[in-house]
Formats: sequence, C-alpha cells, structure tokens
Amino acid sequence: MGDMVVQWIALVPHSKKVLGSIPVPVDGGGTFLCGVCMFSPCLHGFSLCTLSSSHHPKTCTDRLIVIVCLYVSFIFHPCRPPGGPGPAQLSPSLAAMSLQSSTPEALRVVNLLQERNLLPPTPIPAPMPCLPQDLQKVNCNPEVFRCTLTSIPQTQSLLNKAKMPLGLLLHPFKDLSQLPVVTSSTIVRCRSCRTYINPFVSFLDQRRWKCNLCYRVNDVPEEFMYNPVSRAYGEPHKRPEVQNATIEFIAPSEYMLRPPQPAVYLFVLDVSHNAVETGYLNVFCQSLLDNINALPGDSRTKVGFITFDSTIHFYNLQEGLSQPQMLIVSDIEDIFLPTPDSLLVNLNECKELVQDLLKNLPNLFQKTMETQSALGSALQAAFKLLSPTGGRMSVFQTQLPNLGVGALQSREDPNQRASAKDIQHLSPATDFYKKLALDCSGQQVAVDLFLLSAQYCDLASLGCISRYSAGSVYYYPSYHHQHNPAQVERFQKDLKRYLTRKIGFEAVMRIRCTKGLSIHTFHGNFFVRSTDLLSLPNVNPDAGFAVQMSIEENLDDMQVVSFQAALLYTSSKGERRIRVHTLCLPVVNSLSDIFAGADVQAITGLLACMAVDRSVTASLSDARDAMTNAAIDSLASYRQSVLTIQQPGLLAPACLRLFPLYILALLKQKAFRTGTSTRLDDRVFAMCQLKYQPLAYAMLMIHPALYRVDDLTDEGALNINERTIPQPRVLQLSVEKLNREGAFLMDTGMIMYLWVGRNCNPNFLTQVLGVPSYTAYLLPDLDTAESQRTRAFIGWLRDQRPFSPTLHIIKDESQLKSSFMQNMIEDRTEAALSYYEFLLHLQQQISK
Amino acid sequence: MILMTIIARVADGLPLAASIQEDEQSGRDLQQYQSQAKQLCRRLNAQSPDRCTLETGELNFHYLIAQGVCYLSLCEASFPKKMVFAYLEDLHNEFYDQYGRRVPSVTRPYSFIEFDTYIQKAKKTYIDSRARRNLGSINSELHDVQRIMVANIEEVLQRGEALSALDTKASNLTSTPRSTYAKVAAVAVFFITLIIYVRFWWL
Repeated sequence: MGDMVVQWIALVPHSKKVLGSIPVPVDGGGTFLCGVCMFSPCLHGFSLCTLSSSHHPKTCTDRLIVIVCLYVSFIFHPCRPPGGPGPAQLSPSLAAMSLQSSTPEALRVVNLLQERNLLPPTPIPAPMPCLPQDLQKVNCNPEVFRCTLTSIPQTQSLLNKAKMPLGLLLHPFKDLSQLPVVTSSTIVRCRSCRTYINPFVSFLDQRRWKCNLCYRVNDVPEEFMYNPVSRAYGEPHKRPEVQNATIEFIAPSEYMLRPPQPAVYLFVLDVSHNAVETGYLNVFCQSLLDNINALPGDSRTKVGFITFDSTIHFYNLQEGLSQPQMLIVSDIEDIFLPTPDSLLVNLNECKELVQDLLKNLPNLFQKTMETQSALGSALQAAFKLLSPTGGRMSVFQTQLPNLGVGALQSREDPNQRASAKDIQHLSPATDFYKKLALDCSGQQVAVDLFLLSAQYCDLASLGCISRYSAGSVYYYPSYHHQHNPAQVERFQKDLKRYLTRKIGFEAVMRIRCTKGLSIHTFHGNFFVRSTDLLSLPNVNPDAGFAVQMSIEENLDDMQVVSFQAALLYTSSKGERRIRVHTLCLPVVNSLSDIFAGADVQAITGLLACMAVDRSVTASLSDARDAMTNAAIDSLASYRQSVLTIQQPGLLAPACLRLFPLYILALLKQKAFRTGTSTRLDDRVFAMCQLKYQPLAYAMLMIHPALYRVDDLTDEGALNINERTIPQPRVLQLSVEKLNREGAFLMDTGMIMYLWVGRNCNPNFLTQVLGVPSYTAYLLPDLDTAESQRTRAFIGWLRDQRPFSPTLHIIKDESQLKSSFMQNMIEDRTEAALSYYEFLLHLQQQISK
Repeated sequence: MILMTIIARVADGLPLAASIQEDEQSGRDLQQYQSQAKQLCRRLNAQSPDRCTLETGELNFHYLIAQGVCYLSLCEASFPKKMVFAYLEDLHNEFYDQYGRRVPSVTRPYSFIEFDTYIQKAKKTYIDSRARRNLGSINSELHDVQRIMVANIEEVLQRGEALSALDTKASNLTSTPRSTYAKVAAVAVFFITLIIYVRFWWL
C-alpha cells in the first residue's frame, strides 16, 4: 500500500518544471503564463499535432456509410439501421448542429465593462452538449455527470490554446427519483476494456456491438436478445441498458470478494469536560433515539458506542444484560478491546439496551473534570472494533486532541488571521490520521468527523481521517447548547439527514473514458487504489467528485467521446449493486466551438478544487494567482484566436460572461480570501467543502444567491404539488441592490440570511414576521398570503439540498450583518478589488 | 472452531447466505478457502453424496445437502465431526423453515443474507464447549456419523476439472475438424480423377 500512497501523492503536485516547456501560442500573444496549465502537466499531445493525411475522418465515414448500406440491403432488415445511431448518421447531423450553434447565444460577444446586468434572473442551467437529438435525449443528467467543456477539443494543443481546464464533475450517488434497476445473470461488458454496455455503443448487427470507449467489437450474449421490458425477442438495442445513461445492476456473485457486509454503525463520542460543556451529547443522543428505527439497514444491522476523554470507554450491550456495562481501558498507549464480540451488537436484538444507554449517556459524564482528549487511541480502538466487518465510524470531537498518539498542538496565531502574508499550516501536522485512514480504507471502514468547537482544532490534520477513508467532515464552529441556538438547530437537522440518508458500503468507483483521453488527478474524499480505481469504504448521496483529464492521443476520427463512471457498492440491505453513468460529448476541432461549449460553473468548480490542492502543496498566494491567470488566459485566448473583429473593452463569449465574476467570488471566498480575518479551521473547512461538495451546492458557497423577498408575487411562480412557489429574480451581490425599504434573502448554501432593512415595509413585518421586532430565528407560520409566499419560497430552496440551511434574520445593526456583507462580492473591501476594478485589472493584463 | 459457513443452491451453486468469517480473530487468511468453497458449491450436483467431509490440510470442509440446498462449513480438523453435522442439521431445519419455498425462484446472490444472524447464533452455541447439554441430543441423533464419506478437496475439485476437460476435448473432436477433412478429401479425389483422366484420356 505504501507504493500506492506515493503514487497518489506523485499525481497531485504540479511541478514548476512543466511551466518551462509549455508551448507559447503561435500568435505570440501569451505574455502571461497559462493559469490552467500551471495546474496540470500539459506536455502530452503536443508532439502529436502532425498527422498522416491518408487517415482523414471524411474517408473513414464514407467507408462506413458503404458498409452500413451493404448491410441493410443484404440482410433485409426493416428500414431502421441496426442499433442506435451509427457513426454514419452522426456526421451530417453534427455538422448541421455546429453550423446552427456557431452564431448563437453562447458565442455572442459581450463587453463585460459595458454590460452591467449579466447575472441571469434565474439559476443558470447546465449548457447542453451539441449532440444529435437522439443521443442528447438519452444523455446523462448534468446534475450527476458534467464536463467543463461540453465540446471536447480534438487535440491537446487545441486544449492548451483554449486555456480552459478539462475535467469531469460527478455526483454519482445522488438521490434519484427514478432509477432503472436491472437484474440479470450476465452483465454485458466490453471484453477488453470492461466498459458496461450503454446507450452510446453501436450495434453492428443483431449479434455484435462495438464498444464506444475502446472500439472493440463484442458479441451480444444470447440472454441480451430478450427484452424484459417489452417481452420481445431480437431487440438488443431496446434493452434498458441501452436506453438509459444512468442505470443500476444487481451484481452477480463474481462482483463479491466476500459475502455482502451488514450495515455497521459505530459512534465515537468525546465526553471530556469541554464536550459536556457544549451540551452536544444531549442533542446527539436524542437525535439517535428519534431516528433509531430509520437507520438504513436490515435485520443484520449492528451498532456500537465508544466514548473517550483521557481514557477509552467501551459499552457492553450483549443481549440478556439488564443494563449496559461500561468497560474502561486506561492503557491508551497499547489499546485493546476488553471483550471482542459484545461491543458491536445487533440493533434489532439489543434495541432496548441501546436506547437505555442513549438515555443515560448525557447524565453519565455530567460532572466530569477530565479535560484531556485521547482521540488517536479512541480511533485506533474503533478501527479494531470495525475491521472484521467494515462499516461507518462517526466521530464527535470538541477540542484539540492532546493525549497519546495523534496528539496535536495549536498552530494558529490569532493575530495573523487578517494579515496579508501567506497563510501557514494548511497541510497536516502529523501523518498519523492519514495512515490510520488508509488502514481504515483497507478494511472498508469510513470515518465521518463532526467537529464542534469554539477553539482551534487543527482541522487540516484531523480532516485527513475522513479524507482518505471516504468519509465527510461536518463543522460547527462555536457550538454551544445555550449560546448558539442556530448551530444547535443546524446540528440537529444535519444529524437527522446524516443518520437516515442512504448509504453504500464497501464501494469502489471507476471512471473510464474513450481511448485517447486520460484521467490524471482526482478530487474528493477517497483513496486511489490503482490508477483509476477509487476505494470508497462508504459512499453517501451528498458526496461529489471531480477529475482532471488530458488528451493523450488526437481524437481525429471521432465524432463523439464517452465517459463512464461505475460505482459498485453494497446497499444497507446487503445487496451488491452497480450504478453506471455514461456521458457522451461531441469532439470539435475549432477554438470557437470549444468556447461555445464551455460550462462556466463546472470550470469554476474544477478550478476551485485545483486551487485547494495548489494552496496546500504550494501556497495560497500561488493558488490565487493561478485562478486570476485562468481568467486572464482564457479571455486572452478568446480575444486572439476566436474574435475576428477587434473591439476595445473586455470581451467574453456569452457562455463565459460570468467567469470573471466567479473567479472574483472564489478569491473572496473564505477558503482563499486574504486580508479579512478568517479562522484557520474555517478556511480549511471551506476548502474541504469545495473539494467534496457536489457542484450545485459548491456554486452557492462560491457565489451566493440574493433575492428581494418583501414584494413576492405569484407572477411567474412555479407550481409544485399544488403549492405556489414565487420566483423572485436573482440579484447581483452588491450593496447597491439593497435598500432600506426592503427585505432580502441571501442563500449561501449552508446558511440563509434574511436581512430586513431599517425602514422595511411595515406590511412585511406584520404579515410575514408577525411582530415589529424581528430577532427570532424562525419565520412564524402566519395565515397571510405574504407569509405563505415567503415560507413556500424558502421551503422550496431548502428542499433542493440535502442539509437544511439555518435561517438567520438580521437587522440593520445586528452583529451578523458583517458576515452578510462579506458576501457582497461585487463591492470593494479594504483588502479586495470590486468587480469593476477586477475587470479593469483583467483587461489591462490581457491587452499587455 | 467453525471458521466459515456458506449456504448455496445445489442446482447452480448460487450462494444464498453466508457468515462473514473473522480473519482478525483466527489469524488465518481464509481467502483461498473461500474460493475453494465457491468452486465446491459449483461442482456439487444432485448425484453428490449428501453428507461428506473434505480434507484440506489442517482444516476440513463438511457439507450437507438437503432439499436442493447445500450447507457447507469450514472447521479445524480437530473439531468433532458430530458437532459439525449437528450444526449443519440445525441450520438446515431453520433455513428450510424460513426460506425453503423461495429457494428455487431467487436469482440474486446472497438473497437470504439476513440468515447470517441465525448462523452466528447457532455457531456460538455449538462451538461453546461448556454447552454440554447439546451433546446428549447429538449422541442419539448422529450415531451413524462414522459412516460419512471422507475425501480430499483437491481430488474432488480436480476430478471435476478432468471431467470438464475431457468433455471439451470430446466436443472438439466431434465438431471442428469434420469440414476441413472432407474438403481435403474431396479435392484429393478430384485431382486423382483428373490425373487419371489426363493420363488415360486416349483410352
């Protein structure tokens, strides 16, 4: 395993050596270093530009047409050519598509300096790839699988010229309302590259199909000829596998190394004096008691509890005991399990004992004076307990671990928080947590970390335990049961979702792509077991992943390329399943087509991941420069290579018009900002979130949405389940959009702020907030039209994401106003440029 | 000590339930035994003896076939045979009671994995040497345990392989070469006729 670790690390850093060898664009305009290439090795493919002329794509397609015609006339097949759309039909329709789309909206030239209102009034949809109708119809949902460039450049040199990052963003285990599930004894896969059969393969005839990733011709198995949906024989191209880009298979026994594991949940709780002081134990125990029947699992589900301060406490919950027994191990240097088989117990058989324990646990440590925390040893004990089966470990920690293995020291100097100097200590202080996480990963154990603390906890070190074991991190700064009711509410709601959401155990994910493309860097929480296999001891529906790609071989002969992500997991009911997503994208050979297909949100999301890596391996200022350069380079490249008429101003294609705004938003994001006082843990947590959150949620963190809510009307409202949901327009994040007469809702993903102006419409105060004083944290349920509208809108926003954000109602002079105002990205602060200044800066650099 | 228990359908070797073995505790790597067990399940058929002990080094496989379901367990060689078969018998009674009728229709592997809970409990009572009360019943029920066939696992697995190899060879013989031989013969006959005709055309 050691080798693997080294290999993984070797993939991440971006040696500056690469910089020297980046080919400078031919037209000589590239005075700035390529921001994108700074992140990724982009040597590949440059020597491949010259091509033998005998192999023109056109001759190739002609030949194919002949073959297809021959086939049709020879076999007397009913007029439909075999299978899905063959390559022969693709080229004319594709050509037509790209002709239509060369002028359209995406490439409309926008002068960013002149057009002020660029923000669309509604959330931005993902751009549609330029594919023929029949392929687009079955393509993967962009919420699950999307690419930064919806038109893939033909060569790496073309990609280098465009100066945009190429990568995929995935949300593979997203809760889906409808998912076709297939049970069959043989799963049809390509014999050489093991791709699962998908809608983008071509059927040469009834008996053979051609893989769309490696182009090998495979046989169609006999069983596949029968279509279970239509109950017809001889229609392999109508099978559900070939009709759905997202599908789930029930895996046969070849996909199991061992019998499917049961759902196993182990809770590791901090019970030191500090922890008792925050009062989180009550909330946790109550929440688990409430949801104990909703934990995903079957009759085999197991649970266990460990508590720790300076010693480790185990709980014997064996069936037949009249009450739980507490076993204390004080030898934290050499941890052992006091009794091997009654610490993890069957939940159904021992439910009463578990409930008994949960009721008593908060009182047990009420008077503890123990202030030390031996987290490292507790984690080792928990690992020992879980390693025979695998499962999920939920760790609740409230302070810096300061005893035994894995003890940490405070590294933060509060006086340096706001200094413009470079931020230190973003990388872990010890490799203990990473090593343990890798051990956990090997035994199919994932560690989720709940950090509830007012003090510095060194999340940069502690977070490794979740990062490499595919867990997740939840952070509740300054949690206190009395002083911080908003955090308590958020903790409660998060716990409910956490305990009851779907979960997959002992999972692996593999991402394949068409020959010629290669995946080189992964972002998210996992361990890379072999070059393209991600080991995920647990997978949850709120986890996102990103990968970077390069073009290794020219894609000249190809009209389309495909990407396939396959996630093999054991459900909480002990079923082994495979979820397969396939995305198909067109290949283009002109820069203007590449720009037309740019997906600005995906690019921003991927850049954020790359910048997080960069700030850990190099420095924060390096990462900030790289992000600015990414914007400069792509716009410069657009200006030089795509625009035919040179006009003054800062010009961008319409699809990239928000790019500078998003880059500025990233620079002002908690993770990357400088000059504003930011606690180190807050910053590191924001970085974790950017890497781990699915794109839709990460975008709200980067660029919050602002709405005016005191004048909601039913005009243009959505109607979902008989409820009318008003749709106010999204406002720019600038104080100029606020006014004292209004009330504004800002949605930052995890927190919502309702800012009520000083002279706010009294009608709003009485009808929606119920009282003239508005310090409450909840909107009252009033029976007025205005109140219903507001609540419907906020409820709708909340329903769109898994973790319910807390709502803060803030007055003009409230303390929270500063955190509300910090999100006003377009405005100038003492340490950062305003949006307009930033645009001027970009323009200056581009025209240099 | 019972290290592994697998319940499989005899007709196609589909695993129905199993108990996860605990590598940590026994300190053994059971991966190899697990693949042997899988192969064995696939080899068994209706003609196999319904009780058998298969030796594999220091561990023994014991299996019991009843009502089309195979109950297979891996034990240390020193573990009493009587006890194992009583344990397998017990599993059979409970399993048949709970799932017997659904066995022929399932297609998913480990469809009855929830039976694991019962397996673990049963295992505990049988390996507990203090639970002497079990022995009384075992003595009376299984007096004929001595007559259970003993074989070596390698032999059983190889025998199957040899048979299948023979089978493929035989089918190769019958199907492939026929056409080529026929063609060669036909061409030869044609040429001989031609030569004879050319040589003696004037006759």
